[in-house]
Order: sequence, then C-alpha cells, then structure tokens
Amino acid sequence: MSIQTTQLRKTYNQDTDFPVHAVKQLDLSIEQGEFVAVMGPSGSGKTTLLNMIGGIDIPSAGTVIIDGIDICALKDKALIAFRRDNIGFIFQDYSLLPVLTALENVEFVMQLQGHSEKECRERAITLLDQVGLGEQLHKIPSKLSGGQQQRVAVARALAPSPRFVMADEPTANLDAKSTAELLDIMQQLNEKEGTTFIFSTHDPRVIKRARRVIVFEDGQLTEDRAQ
Amino acid sequence: MLIKLAWRNLWRQKRRTILTAMALALALVLSLFMRSMQEGSYANNIENSAKFSTGLIQLQHVEFEESQSIEDLLPATDEFIAPAREMDDVERILPRLESFALAAAGDKSKGVMVLGVMPALEDEYSSISDKVVEGEFIKADDSAVLIGQGLAEYLSLAVGDELVLYGQGYRGQTAAGLYKIKGIVHFPLPQLDNLLIYMPLPLSQTLFSTGEQVSAWVIDTRELTRLEQTLADLKRAYSSQKLKNKVNVRDWEDLAPEMAQQIAMDKAGGIFMMYLLYGVVGFGLFATILMMTLERYREFGVMMATGLVRAKLLGLVVLESSFISLLGVTIGLALGTPLVVWFHYHPIELTGETAEMMLELGWEPILPMLLSPWLFIDQILIVLGLMLLCLLYPLWRIYRLDLVTALKGGAHVN
Ligand SMILES: Nc1ncnc2c1ncn2[C@@H]1O[C@H](COP(=O)(O)OP(=O)(O)O)[C@@H](O)[C@H]1O
Ligand SMILES: [Mg+2]
Repeated sequence: MSIQTTQLRKTYNQDTDFPVHAVKQLDLSIEQGEFVAVMGPSGSGKTTLLNMIGGIDIPSAGTVIIDGIDICALKDKALIAFRRDNIGFIFQDYSLLPVLTALENVEFVMQLQGHSEKECRERAITLLDQVGLGEQLHKIPSKLSGGQQQRVAVARALAPSPRFVMADEPTANLDAKSTAELLDIMQQLNEKEGTTFIFSTHDPRVIKRARRVIVFEDGQLTEDRAQ
Repeated sequence: MLIKLAWRNLWRQKRRTILTAMALALALVLSLFMRSMQEGSYANNIENSAKFSTGLIQLQHVEFEESQSIEDLLPATDEFIAPAREMDDVERILPRLESFALAAAGDKSKGVMVLGVMPALEDEYSSISDKVVEGEFIKADDSAVLIGQGLAEYLSLAVGDELVLYGQGYRGQTAAGLYKIKGIVHFPLPQLDNLLIYMPLPLSQTLFSTGEQVSAWVIDTRELTRLEQTLADLKRAYSSQKLKNKVNVRDWEDLAPEMAQQIAMDKAGGIFMMYLLYGVVGFGLFATILMMTLERYREFGVMMATGLVRAKLLGLVVLESSFISLLGVTIGLALGTPLVVWFHYHPIELTGETAEMMLELGWEPILPMLLSPWLFIDQILIVLGLMLLCLLYPLWRIYRLDLVTALKGGAHVN
C-alpha cells in the first residue's frame, strides 16, 4: 500500500502567456506507515502536491497511483468516495463546521461513509479521547482553542479510518505548545495505529519530528532524506 | 445530521434569516389578505347581482339566447325540473317567463319587459317585496301586476289603475290583456325601473298563451364555490337523448358577460400586484440564498474534501432555503389565517358614498372575505415556487464549484 507518483506535473494558467509551474516532473513514492514532512518556502508547490496526491487537484500530466488505483482516472463521484474512504485531510485553519460540536464534526464524516449512528458515536468518542478532548465533546469549535480545534480536525481526519492523512501546514496557526501537543498526537497515532501522515510545513521544529523529509523548491524535489 | 446541520446553519446569521423569513411572511399575509378580499367581493357581487337579474344559473331553450323569443321555451313541468331539484347543491329554483310587450294607459304607451314569476319564490330569493313603495306585493293567484316606479310615472299610473298589455304570444297568437296594478316597485337600476312589469307566472302564461312553459328556470346554488360542480351536474342531467339540443345550461358569466369581464380584469390587476410584491421579496430571498452559498465556498470545499458528495451539498443548500421559506410560510400563515378568518366572520363595513350606493342597490354595504383553502394553498405554492427560482443560480454555482479554488477560499467558477 503506497502512493506512487510518476512524472507528476501541475501547471496553472497553462494556456496563457504566464504559466505557473507549481509542480514539475515529480517521481515520488510514499509507503503506508510513513511520517513525512514536505518542506519548502511559501509558493514552492507544497499545497499543490498534497492536493494532487490527495485526489483534490487534477495533475496537468503524470499519474498518482494509490494502492494500484490511478486516482486521476476516477470520475467525480468515485473520486469523492475514494477520497472519503482512503484519505484524511487536515487544514491549516482547522476548517471545522462551526455549527457542529466537536463530537458531531467527527461523527459527520463517518456518517457520510454510511456507518450506523452508534458506531459513529463510539468511534468519535474514542478518537476525541485519543487526541485529549474527551472532556470537550459537546463544545462547538468557537468555544475551543486553536490547538484544540486542530486536534478535533485530526480526529475528524482519522474517523473514516483512512490509509493516508494529508495535513497542509497543520501547525501554521498554532503556538509552540499547541504545535508540540499536536505533533505528539500525530506521532503517537503514527506509531501505535500505523497511520500515514504527510504534512507540509516550513517550521523547523516540525521538521525535526518527521522521519522523512522531502524538501521542495520551486516545484521541484531537491532533497529526500530519512532522519 | 444533514437536517440538523442545515437547521443550525440557518442561525449563523440570525438576523438575516429572520428578516428574510419575515419579508416572505409579510408578502404572504398581504397577498392572502388581498386575494381573500378580492375573491370575497367578487362572490358578493356575483351573488348580489345574480339576485336582481339573471340568477347564477339558468336553464333555457337552446334558441333563446339568440332569439329572446316567446317561441323558444322550456316545459314548466315538475317532471322536467325534477333532476335539478334532486341536486344537493341546488338551493332554489325559480321558473320565469319573460317577453316584451307594449304597455298602454290612457294616451301613453311604452315597450316593457313582462316578467312572469312565482312571487313567493322570487321574494324569498331577492326580497323584492321590500322594494314595493306603494300598494302590495303580488300573490301567485292574483290577476294583477307590479310595475316599476319609473314606468308608473311615465304612464301616469297609480295603484288600483289598470293598464293594457299588448304583444305577441306563443305560436303567433295575439297576447292582450287588461291588468290592475297591485303595487309599485322601486328598482335601484333605472333600466329596470323604467321597464319592468312583474306578474304571477300563471297569469303571464295565459297572456302569452304558452301553456305550461317558461323561458327560463333560474337556479341558485347553496354555495358559490359549488357553482362549477352544479353546472357540470346540470349539463349532464340535461343532456339525455330526449332533451339533447333543447336545453342550454348557462351560468352568470354567460348571462352577464360584462360583469365576468370586469371581474377578470380586476382579478388580473390584483394578481399582478401580488406577483410584484413577491418579486420584490424574491430578490431579498435570492440575495440571502446566494450569500449563504458564496460566503461558504471554502466550507463547502472542506465538506467535499472530507467526503460529502455534491448531491448532498446541493441538498444541504436546498434544505436551508426550504427552512427559511417554511419559516416564512409558517409565520405568514400564523399571522394571516386569524386575520382572514376574523374578517370573514366580521366583514369590513363600508361607510360613506360607496355604502349608500350599495344600500340603494339593495346590497349589504360590506367587504366580505372569502375563506378558501385554495387561496392559502396558492400562497404556499407561490412561496415554494419563488424559492425554487431563487435556488437555481446558487445551486448552479455549487454544481460548478471547483474543489481546489473552493479550498483556497475563492468563489471562481471554472
Ligand atoms: N489556482 C492557482 N492558479 C494559479 N496559480 C496558482 C494556483 N494555485 C497555486 N498557484 C501557484 O502555484 C505555486 C505553488 O503554490 P502552492 O502549491 O500553494 O505553494 P505552497 O503551498 O508551497 O505555498 C505558487 O506560485 C502559486 O502562486
Ligand atoms: Mg500552501
């Protein structure tokens, strides 16, 4: 089980006089269970890469193969289902639904998968417990701190039991303490549950914690190291 | 969960939601009130004017409409009218024989309309005896007549005087007779006042030598709302082999086309106003739904990234709009229903000139409200239709929503 990209390329404004080559000819392979940081300055193409391997953005060229499935060839509906069942997302701004409680936010994505209410409830509570929010189940996002919200987002991303979790600059809005807490949780989940995390960042403290670092510059991979 | 989500989303912008719902409610109340009043006054006008002229429905000989002739008559037998009598919605049936004749008294003469009626039945329907200003009302076996005040003045006649009626009777026979005046009637409409002579039906049948025949059976329904049904029933009942091509069932619209036209115009005006009102409110609703959509592009993107299929996203927005509309409808009905019901049972009483004019015509000077479920259903359907219309563009935007741009927070369509 892996993510495999071959000759992956994304060019914005392709047909204009000023095409933007966000990702250029990328060959990359990520195995299940990895804890990968994609590092690079702003505008280097990190978001574009995560979006493409997460099945959100469509590559201009090349393929993304996840578990033998070429996700670029999937139709809209099939892609949504594939994404829902295989890939979790964590966003920089947490992006929780503001009108739902922490618990409901996590339950909601599971219900979309068609699980029973009881199953959703139980798993959501377990996950929120794991991220240390067992006491905050019924609070709506605006009553939680940024770090807490992002932990709800982690629980939400994990709720459908995805193989991969894409986190685009998950700690960018967090203070040092919350960042450390979040990374602890992610690392724990990675080590205990074998959840694959791929996160982008330009924070050196975050990069320190990764086991593999992919350095990105101007849409190109300049370094790929284990640590 | 989707319903819960939609409901809670509504209250993210509490003020906007309430304002939009209130605007819808207000439009609904105003429209409902206006339409109920319109329909109520039409019904009132129709019933009132039917009383004093054509009635709601008439059975006539098929040729009568064209010829207005004493030759084209229907049987005045119980057997003939029995099918109509059996109908539940039929409240009363009045036989009438009408024809033109020349009235002469002294050295003056004038063309008049002779109306042979069953006096008691007519009086029950239109209280015509109240309009007798001199003398007395006629009875069925009298051989005397009632005469319009204007006509009496023209012919210089008073109660107790006699007048000669002269005209053409059935099958070319001569119709002539000398009749005593039993009473003088004041009709508010000058055309009638100067023209009408009422006599008992048997007397008129003798005058015109028609035997047991009438020129019209006037039929009144219990409820105006049952008119259509009754009309259809009558048409069916009088279309048997024997009566085919003989009986013409006509309603008031057919009998009094000017009034029908006037009502149609007035109604069109009212409906135009109503749509104008809803149009204005509709813009508000559209703006609200559009804002609800555009300001949440990023949120929609996140929902789609986390597994919400587009159809459900569309469903969510439809649900949210439905909630606003239902809220508006509920508030509107909650306010509008008591209002319409109250004014239905306590009609607005008119004062001043209009009131006097109506009293003069023998009408009650009121503005009644029609209480009809259809008027309510109409309003609800209009609101729902309006909502669907307002949803089209926002839904299209969501349908075309591009996940990448949405996640970046943009509202661009690719
Ligand atoms: N929708 C878009 N249209 C045009 N250019 C874009 C679009 N999205 C991103 N880019 C450009 O692609 C490059 C890479 O962007 P991005 O992947 O967001 O980088 P990062 O996440 O590392 O900051 C940038 O130069 C950015 O301006
Ligand atoms: Mg980025």
